[in-house]
Amino acid sequence: MRSRRIAAWLLLGLVLIALAVIAAPGSSYSQQDRALPLAGASSHHPAGTDALGRDRMVRVAAAFLLSLAGAIAASAATTAAAAGVGTLAAFSPAALGSLAMLVCDVFLALPWLFLLMMVRSALPLTTSPVHSAEVTFLVLAALGWPACARAVYRGTQGLRNAEWMLQARAGGLRSPQIVRYVLPNLLPLLLPQFLICIPAFVIAEANLGALGLGIGEPLPSWGGMLLELDNSAMLLRTPWVYLPIALLIVVLLLLEALAVEV
Amino acid sequence: MNSVVGLVKRLARTTVIVLLVVLGSTILVRFAPGYLSDAREMDSRYAAAARVELSEEAMRSSSLPHMLATEIGGWTHGNFGLSRQYGVPVLELIVPRLAVTGNLMLRSILLAWALALCLSLFSSAGRNPSLLWHAPAALLLAVPTAAMATLCLLADSGGPVLVMTLLIAARDFKFLDRILRKSWRDPHLLQARAQGVTTLRLVRAHILPNIASHLLALATLSIVTALSALVPVEVIFSLPGLGQLAWNAALNRDLPVLLAITMIMAIAVTCAGMVSEPPGEWQTA
Repeated sequence: MRSRRIAAWLLLGLVLIALAVIAAPGSSYSQQDRALPLAGASSHHPAGTDALGRDRMVRVAAAFLLSLAGAIAASAATTAAAAGVGTLAAFSPAALGSLAMLVCDVFLALPWLFLLMMVRSALPLTTSPVHSAEVTFLVLAALGWPACARAVYRGTQGLRNAEWMLQARAGGLRSPQIVRYVLPNLLPLLLPQFLICIPAFVIAEANLGALGLGIGEPLPSWGGMLLELDNSAMLLRTPWVYLPIALLIVVLLLLEALAVEV
Repeated sequence: MNSVVGLVKRLARTTVIVLLVVLGSTILVRFAPGYLSDAREMDSRYAAAARVELSEEAMRSSSLPHMLATEIGGWTHGNFGLSRQYGVPVLELIVPRLAVTGNLMLRSILLAWALALCLSLFSSAGRNPSLLWHAPAALLLAVPTAAMATLCLLADSGGPVLVMTLLIAARDFKFLDRILRKSWRDPHLLQARAQGVTTLRLVRAHILPNIASHLLALATLSIVTALSALVPVEVIFSLPGLGQLAWNAALNRDLPVLLAITMIMAIAVTCAGMVSEPPGEWQTA
């Protein structure tokens, strides 16, 4: 419990720092300083610049905020979808419930990365960076719900046979009214699912970006910045290239710590 | 008799899932917003008339029944259709790469199992979960596979097998540690320990037989983890396997290849899932 609280405060601190970096006057994630490509740390660029002369600190801060916001939104959407599908399947006739779980099995039979690659590769060639970011997180949300829906289905089925539920039904409560009471009881199941999905989506976006199929340039993303590690000439010139991967690992560890012990 | 009926039911369910995966993937690709666009249309070397012809050709072959018929036709001919990028049957591209991927996965999974089992036996013997054992596993799971592979490449140490092994072992370790910890707390084991039975004997005679039934579930977990790490590992280490082929196909919009690989992955995961359920559960399938 204590480690979770520390992780939450540290994450909040990182978010505030990132917001301050982004909001600082003159900071832009896409503005290029043509005279200073691959520069080391200086007063103008505290973490140096990338190969196009863009401020690395601002780009890392923007990537962190974009990835976190996208992952939280996608996780919220996926948890809501899972809660809806799982609850409805549990309260539907058995055949319909089995059909819903069969659909979940179909999704679960496909490794995420392959589905993501398939959908991303079929996007228009002229997709804008903002659109590519939206689609990436939308696809993550669309693919993440089945495992959670299965857990919700099992949990709701357990609740269906609970004594208070039997009494509620015997008392004449209808299914829509009962669902209202079921959802708060599912919170202990939904909250961990929501928190577990956030780091999973951040990692998925980073992996996809590192393969060149993630968020389009010039929008900064973890995956896009990990691509810098492929350039050995850049690695020799400045150790600040390692800043994105170091921060990404810290963020993921904090998110994992937040998900543990819920 | 019941087991046979259960097995048949499981097989039928697996077949239905694979067929639905084919249908779902085809629909997903067909209705993706850029399906009809072709990279060649943006090439200035193509004349306007040729570009119109490309566009019309794409429109003609874009109906869902046509796509499904082509896909299933390719399967029935045994060649998975024709690759858009290379113009050769997809099967010719897949077969040589299957061996590379299979070899990588098999070696990584076996090594990961050995590593995870040894580590979890040590870690679970303690009274409380120790940070010493769990921190490295958490760290390994927090590093994106692509970054881990790139760092290995930069450090000039380790290869694809090491990256896959570490990733699978970290996930398997968490799973095994939980099961083993529960096993160690069984009342008969507590009594045996109190009576002075050696740890080695307890592990051999009680713990390992206890967790044997969970090893099949571990196989599914390992296969799913390995498949999800396959693309970044093979791409970064330039290993000519299925993951690299899928990545190339994704970059070049070679959808027949991508669909065929997705099907193979779906079959692998579904079959692993079927095998991981103990025969007793087949009866209630």
